[in-house]
Amino acid sequence: MSPEFMAPLMFASLILFLLIGYPVAFSLSAVGLLFAVIAIELGFMPAALLQALPQQVFDIMRNDTLLAIPFFTFMGLILERSGMAEDMLETIGQLFGRIRGGLAYAVIFVGALLAATTGVVAASVISMGLISLPIMMRYGYDARVASGVIAASGTLAQIIPPSLVLIVLADQLGTSVGDMYAGALVPGLTLVLLYVLYVFIVTVVRPSAAPALPPEARTLREDNGSSGTPSLLALLAVSIVAGVAYDQFHYAATDRPMDERIIVSALIGIAIAFGAAVVNRVTKMGLLSRAAEKVVFVMVPPLMLIFLVLGTIFLGVATPTEGGAMGAAGAIILAMIKGKLNLDLTRQAMNSTLKLTTFVVFILIGARVFRIAFIGVDGDAWVEHLFDSLPGGVVGFLVVVNILVFVLAFFLDFFEIAFIIVPLLAPIAAKLGIDLVWFGVMLGVNMQTSFMHPPFGFALFYLRSVAPKSIKTTDIYWGAIPFVIIQILMVALVIAFPKLVTHALHGPAAESTQTTEEVLQSLPQDTPEQTEGDGGAALMEGSGATLPAGAEPEPDPAAALLEEAGKSP
Amino acid sequence: MQALLRLAGWIDALNERIGQMAKWLVLICVLISAGNAVIRKAFDTSSNAFLEIQWYLFSAMFLLGAAYTLKHNEHIRIDILLSRLSPRKQAVVDILGTLLFLLPMAIAVLYFSWPVMTQMMTSGETSSDAGGLVRWPVWALIPIGFTLLILQAAAEIIKRLAFLQGLIPNPAEKHTGQIAEVIAQNLDSQPKQENKA
Repeated sequence: MSPEFMAPLMFASLILFLLIGYPVAFSLSAVGLLFAVIAIELGFMPAALLQALPQQVFDIMRNDTLLAIPFFTFMGLILERSGMAEDMLETIGQLFGRIRGGLAYAVIFVGALLAATTGVVAASVISMGLISLPIMMRYGYDARVASGVIAASGTLAQIIPPSLVLIVLADQLGTSVGDMYAGALVPGLTLVLLYVLYVFIVTVVRPSAAPALPPEARTLREDNGSSGTPSLLALLAVSIVAGVAYDQFHYAATDRPMDERIIVSALIGIAIAFGAAVVNRVTKMGLLSRAAEKVVFVMVPPLMLIFLVLGTIFLGVATPTEGGAMGAAGAIILAMIKGKLNLDLTRQAMNSTLKLTTFVVFILIGARVFRIAFIGVDGDAWVEHLFDSLPGGVVGFLVVVNILVFVLAFFLDFFEIAFIIVPLLAPIAAKLGIDLVWFGVMLGVNMQTSFMHPPFGFALFYLRSVAPKSIKTTDIYWGAIPFVIIQILMVALVIAFPKLVTHALHGPAAESTQTTEEVLQSLPQDTPEQTEGDGGAALMEGSGATLPAGAEPEPDPAAALLEEAGKSP
Repeated sequence: MQALLRLAGWIDALNERIGQMAKWLVLICVLISAGNAVIRKAFDTSSNAFLEIQWYLFSAMFLLGAAYTLKHNEHIRIDILLSRLSPRKQAVVDILGTLLFLLPMAIAVLYFSWPVMTQMMTSGETSSDAGGLVRWPVWALIPIGFTLLILQAAAEIIKRLAFLQGLIPNPAEKHTGQIAEVIAQNLDSQPKQENKA
């Protein structure tokens, strides 16, 4: 058999093996082993390569970035049961409920906040399905609009930092997690705006599809019947003024980085609002309306968690992995304060985390075995050749890749795409001079659809399982479609305007005193003890922070290994 | 067959117990990692041992959890086609898959990792960083984890053969996947209702 046949044959076998339905991790490694043996027999590949299998496992073991997977999963599971989402949905729903489409806006808002707290999808979709969906249905929302908004808002966790998707993509692309977070921030928030815009259009075109709450359903109000919103707005204004004033006063003469100023000032503002609410509650002075007090109390936990995770990462106190651990610890404390923490819940959360971590890491192990053999049969060259003949250069490549990933996402889990497909595409993207952070964020937005497109999207699946019987499955499917289209639009926006992502990395902000980029760069210096050179600890590499377009990605561990093995007889 | 089933029962019990212990590693690892970040910031001090113990524990998590996850049938599958087959055919797929897909890989890793581990044990190699940990315990996790995985694979084959002979109920049945579990967890805080996910 000629070697040119091997790579396509191997890829075809992969599809076949995966479709058999045996666990992906082992099917992957089976294809890898089979072709490694064939290639060794035919003399394409050095036999020593198989001996490197344990080293591949070991590389994954000491990958500090992947450690974030159990941390964020555990955090998500604890948070899901802490009642935080429920409190937010009820209060924010009341707050926004009186305007048309208000409940839908509340779902998007809470979805975005939850997304900024944790990195996993399931939690928010289920809470919103259980709490908001019945209310929306009771007050006359269109089933499709309601279920679509909930499923889509739940998937925001995939793109808004600290997303697990971004961590895994950073690991596979060899970029820094901090860069991916910084780059994904604007596209993530743009998506939130697009969702809001969609709901707004619905309320204009079909007002009956997303009505306001009727007066009798608005329970969060003053004794005299007024809504108490002015009080809330006043408190908000006071907090903002306090934060800005602190910033001006305290940082006036210093040149502290912008991130730090924003984070610290925001903390001051939140502290003041919280202080006012506590005083109001304790003294029963009635300075604040009920709505204002309630909103402050439900907003503080998520904001504190966001600070614990993202704040510490952007301040350089914690690595993204440690940020996950901080968030998990914070979620435990929150659940404890709310009296929701018990041994049973902890056990369940640890159990699910253990199993999820295990299957994800084993898919990665399988993917590595596959990859060694695939490189051995010159698969990379074959894939590159496939893309060679594409018209349109970089844009052509990106369009084709995105269509490919979009279609694959119907069949493959996010992790499978990240571990199998992304390593094939990354070298080509790097060669074409594509910024890998930009590329990664683009894929992140794209893969978000894999959670919401019918019929296999996980978010839809979760939603179906908690939705009332009155909502037809087809309603859930149809409801998701506008959001899938928004998602595609967003991918197109990211392709058309790379600045959406790259501004945070090497944008015009460069002339200001110290930029995000420098803060991110300073991270490695804060943690000099972590310099063991772990292949995957991309954050520690420092170089990632200023990755110029066209820079080589971190060397593929499998490729490096192959090279090494090739040298030794 | 009865003797084999008893053996499968022992393996199940062993891996169940190991899994039950391994899950605590999640919590321990969270506390160490968060604590390490706080201490580093607050006291400007850290030790490589604390950094390394984190990935030691991470490794223990998934290597010791592999067999447990297999036992609970939660290694993720693409079951578009599989789910349309009868339970008996699914069992056949699982038996063949375990024999042809899982076992060759697991045995290969076990076979090649053994010499590395024994060499690590005799040389007593430690991390190259100051205050780093000795390496062999974490290397030993590879053969241990894959041995447990191989044992569990054998148990799964036995159980499915027994199912095909009509001796036991379908071993794959009780786990409809993590989704059902997640949902069940959520529903138990709600008023009791039938959930057939």
